[in-house]
Amino acid sequence: MGLFNTKNKAAGKPDGRVEGIAKVTGAGKYAAEYKVDNMCHAVFAGSTIAAGTIKSIYLDNAKQVEGVLDIITHLNKPAVPGFASETKLKETRFGLPLFHTDKVYFRNQPVAMVVADTLENATYAASLIEFTYQEDTPTVDFKKAHPSVPLKMQGKERGSLDAWSNAPQVVDQQYDIAAEVHNPMEMHATIAHWTADDKLVLYDKTQGVVNVQRTIAKIFEIPQENIEVFSEFVGGGFGSGLRVWTNGVGAVMAAKAVKRPVKLMLTRSQMFSLTGYRPAAWQRVKLGADNDGKFLGIHHQGKNGTSVFEPFQEGITSITRMVYNFDNLKAEQSIVPLNLGTPTWMRGPGDCTGAFAVECAIDELSYQLNMDPVALRLKNFAITHDPENKKPYSSNFIDECITKGAEMIDWKQRKQQPGALTEGDWKIGYGVAVGMWGAGRGNASAGITMEKDGTMTVKTAMTDIGTGTGTAMQNMTHTFTGMPKDKIKIALGHSTLPTAGSQGGSTGLSSISGAVSAVCDALKKQLADYAAAINPAYKDAKPADVLLSATGVSLKTDKNEFVSLADIWQKNNLTDISVKASSGPGAERQQYAFCCSTAHFVKVRVNTKTGKVKVERAICVADGGTIVNEKPAANQISGAIVGGIGMALMEEIHADEKLGNLVGNDLAGYHFAVNADAPIIEVAFINKPDPYVNPSGAKGLGEVGIIGCAPAIANAIYNATGKRLRDLPITPDKVLV
Amino acid sequence: MKPFSFSKSDKVSKALSAKKEAVQFLAGGTNLVDLMKKNIAVPDGLIDITAVLSDKVEAQSGSTRIGAMVRNSALATDPQILAKNPLVAKAVLAGASPQIRNMASTAGNLLQRTRCPYFYETSTPCNKRKPGSGCSALHGEQRMSAIIGYNDACVAVHPSDLCIALAALGASVNVTDKGNKQLVIPFKDFHKLPESTPDLDNHLPKDAIITSVDIPDNPFNKHFAYVKLRDRDSYAFALVSVAAALDLDGTRIKEARLASGGVAHKPWRWQKAEQYLKGKEANAATFHAAAAIVADEVKPLPGNGFKKVMLMGAIETALQHCLTA
Amino acid sequence: MNGKNYYSRRFFLKTSGALAALAAIPATVKSFYMDAKRLIIPPRQKQPLIVKVNKQTHKLDVDTRTTLLDLLREDLHLTGTKKGCDHGQCGACTVHVNGERVLSCLTLAATLPGKEVTTIEGLADGDQLHPMQAAFLECDGFQCGYCTPGQIMSAVACVKEGHTKSVAEIKEFMSGNLCRCGAYNGIVASIQKVAK
Repeated sequence: MGLFNTKNKAAGKPDGRVEGIAKVTGAGKYAAEYKVDNMCHAVFAGSTIAAGTIKSIYLDNAKQVEGVLDIITHLNKPAVPGFASETKLKETRFGLPLFHTDKVYFRNQPVAMVVADTLENATYAASLIEFTYQEDTPTVDFKKAHPSVPLKMQGKERGSLDAWSNAPQVVDQQYDIAAEVHNPMEMHATIAHWTADDKLVLYDKTQGVVNVQRTIAKIFEIPQENIEVFSEFVGGGFGSGLRVWTNGVGAVMAAKAVKRPVKLMLTRSQMFSLTGYRPAAWQRVKLGADNDGKFLGIHHQGKNGTSVFEPFQEGITSITRMVYNFDNLKAEQSIVPLNLGTPTWMRGPGDCTGAFAVECAIDELSYQLNMDPVALRLKNFAITHDPENKKPYSSNFIDECITKGAEMIDWKQRKQQPGALTEGDWKIGYGVAVGMWGAGRGNASAGITMEKDGTMTVKTAMTDIGTGTGTAMQNMTHTFTGMPKDKIKIALGHSTLPTAGSQGGSTGLSSISGAVSAVCDALKKQLADYAAAINPAYKDAKPADVLLSATGVSLKTDKNEFVSLADIWQKNNLTDISVKASSGPGAERQQYAFCCSTAHFVKVRVNTKTGKVKVERAICVADGGTIVNEKPAANQISGAIVGGIGMALMEEIHADEKLGNLVGNDLAGYHFAVNADAPIIEVAFINKPDPYVNPSGAKGLGEVGIIGCAPAIANAIYNATGKRLRDLPITPDKVLV
Repeated sequence: MKPFSFSKSDKVSKALSAKKEAVQFLAGGTNLVDLMKKNIAVPDGLIDITAVLSDKVEAQSGSTRIGAMVRNSALATDPQILAKNPLVAKAVLAGASPQIRNMASTAGNLLQRTRCPYFYETSTPCNKRKPGSGCSALHGEQRMSAIIGYNDACVAVHPSDLCIALAALGASVNVTDKGNKQLVIPFKDFHKLPESTPDLDNHLPKDAIITSVDIPDNPFNKHFAYVKLRDRDSYAFALVSVAAALDLDGTRIKEARLASGGVAHKPWRWQKAEQYLKGKEANAATFHAAAAIVADEVKPLPGNGFKKVMLMGAIETALQHCLTA
Repeated sequence: MNGKNYYSRRFFLKTSGALAALAAIPATVKSFYMDAKRLIIPPRQKQPLIVKVNKQTHKLDVDTRTTLLDLLREDLHLTGTKKGCDHGQCGACTVHVNGERVLSCLTLAATLPGKEVTTIEGLADGDQLHPMQAAFLECDGFQCGYCTPGQIMSAVACVKEGHTKSVAEIKEFMSGNLCRCGAYNGIVASIQKVAK
């Protein structure tokens, strides 16, 4: 259960992640891959309008399909208590009253669900259901809709706009970003199995099993502890797994209706509408500076799209409060309801959007001043204190990041004059931008079970969506206890394990490191207590003094005071030792501000005839505190750069203005970077521990790698061509026309 | 997917006689199976014809014959193709992915259906998918739409890369019809414009089987290029593509071939520009002038004006590559 | 459909006042259903299939609609082969048929007799990892692991085909396998390691 096999499957197994063997052999089970007896399949039929009301439903054809067990619509669904009223629906925080309304809010909204014996039969039957609608005019075009939505103050104003109304240097520009879709490689899927009237087992693709438990418990009004959730292997998330979506609720409803376990895997097209996306955004940044480049003030305005049935606001202007020192800041935001699914957090939410506008505006200022954009940033960084709350940063090495990155790319090769480097039809340019993300930490628990042979299983309910959490836990446990790694097993992603929050917002490692440290201390204390019955030197030993090995314990102060595990077990008559501990942020959060940061440098080639942009080099230097897990950490960052290349150059989804359908909602129509689009990405870490964030000194890296990447590319394109493109993605047509 | 019967055939004549209304032939399946999953193709039955067709590339007198079942990957590495028609290999390798090229057949490539996003979105009007329902792209997203040869009924484009090279090289398509009669269809007449029947992509007679494709021997195996512009570097359909080939006498162009994908309902030959290039010096000015002739011919839709500029750039780039490749 | 069950649920729905606020339910449910054309719905067509997967022969009855991908995942419980799009657009379902990399989502199971299928589960030699699997482990050529079996099957073929002469060539010939985590650095490194 949630146990990664670390046994050397092959002789001379190379050093890799704890779950590596399971992943490279295909043995790891993702949500849809559990074998459950008597399981059947559910498939959604989606609405074919984007706004309106269902008038009639024709099921007769679908019902004739062999193997169909049930067809659920809003007319006959098994009533879900959490959707019984608007008030209850709000409490569930689920948003869409699935099959409990005749209203259609967006295209592809599930309006019927077929449950059948096989996937083939369910899919076919779903295609035969017909609806008629009372159709309303949908609003789906963010660019057309947002101008009529007024802005509201976002956070406290710092200083005033008047203070810099005579700024000698001003950049005032607008920036657009198209909606992007997470599209993790694994499509969201759930297997729901009612094992009793009020007991449920779920195999779910999620970034947080506890969140699934909590949400499903609320919606179906059953005790949270009656829901067992497995999410041991998660095929990517990027934020889409931070909520429970219709696949989860639908599978639970279907399983209830047919009294059999039901599997529901969304189709790739459904993934575009039913599991969130990074909403389209508009921004205006007015940046004032003196003639030496010292920032005087920023006025940052931002709007993002949301659905008509659920508000979702991106923290677009948050990053403007973090990175640079200046006295005057006004931020305004608003959200624009559209007939689309609800957006959600996507890798680097808010900051990724905000950084595009701010980091491009700063680049624009640098050319206006004829000043190196690296020097301009260095002049304005807030290194010692958070410019907003004035707390000292516990650690902030963004200046070292940018200095090191400039060296790595050989920044002096860049020409200040745009368009100065040419090779035939290709223009060559260099760009820089930075990213920052608050280094958060949540509450988390972990447990350790130790066997007589020294094998330890370190456990937590937290999932590993590919970030290397399990491997980091193994590394940290080794560091904290001294136990050899091959004796340390990891169990993750199951709700009966010690509770922990979702893996999101780059808090996973930070949160779990505290729990692992605490539980290692608890184990050492426990072992010391047992050892004291054999050797009095262990009486009153502090956890920090106790050292573990595969065969026993010893004291740091005196290694000769060794007590074997065999003796401990025998003397205390043990079968195993189990300890559990929790940990969370504390008083340090009142005293300090916490951040992780990145500096991005790119070299691009832009073809003036074809509009092709080729990222030739991409460098990222990151401050993530102590790097506890170097290969996966570098992989996180380089992967984020691949995402940044997509955001900058190709990722976008639009709805047809009249029909409301998402145009090209598949992986041929929605382009994200393939292997050929990315260079070999160069990653470096500052690798200095943060003294206060948590016991490991590690700060999360998941978000910060993508923040600042897209503006670095846009800035490089300007440096190459002299063309300032403020509308992402920068597809070849925009370069050309 | 609608339930269907499945059978295998081992002879062209048997396959033809087994062919009934609403039954389709299956070769590589890379397009047909996908269309069936989308309920765009809803056959009552499939006849697997992979065993009935040749998977060989053979030299004929005056031409090279490509068997209908030659897989794209085999075509791209075939020594005869590389020696005599390397443009074909280049075009094939610009398409799809290695896995799909291992599956896709030569004949299937000719019958590939459009990638217009509305064609694939079955809940929207589309005259190609549902005749008479209207063309959603005509007033919708036109990034992938045509810039020449379209009409109000359909603005979809032909998606293949291989076909662009075959069009440029003046290939012909060998067909056996329902009555076992052998027909030869010149490549330029194989695909069609939307006209009033956009649901039909080509002039392949009903229930006929493509057995092979012939490429006449030609002097275009030294100076050739295939330029494909798309939204990412690989594994994407073309915004525009250009197959270019020159027969040079020193620096003078004896004859030129120029064809494009992503611009029209069929692979499009730029004959005016080819004519212009004949006899000219092969240099940037000539290539620019040829591209300008093409640009004059196209009529972008309101949503894809960029394609005109992009196409000019692609043509100039391709012609330039002919000199360096 | 179980008629009794159907009616009792509908009864519950009609008596729930709060629900009516959410969904405007007409007086009689029957009138709600439209008068649409009743089609003749063909039954599923099954045929016997003998298929060799990872050197093991399986005899089963399959729906003609079943793809190799669903056959592996749903019928044979070989879930190492992944469904990432089901439409030939991502490469996650890559397997070898007769030693060549193909997409199992676009391969109908009915076309398989006489062919040999190898999946990720059949790549290792017992407990001995295939060199490509070992390389992916060592070079950290994955994150979430979902595209990984497809990447590895594709990578093995890429080396066999000889498309490893440069980073650019490897990247081009591995571009049919999407990785949303963006682990392309490690994927290229793994292939270089094995190709050496």
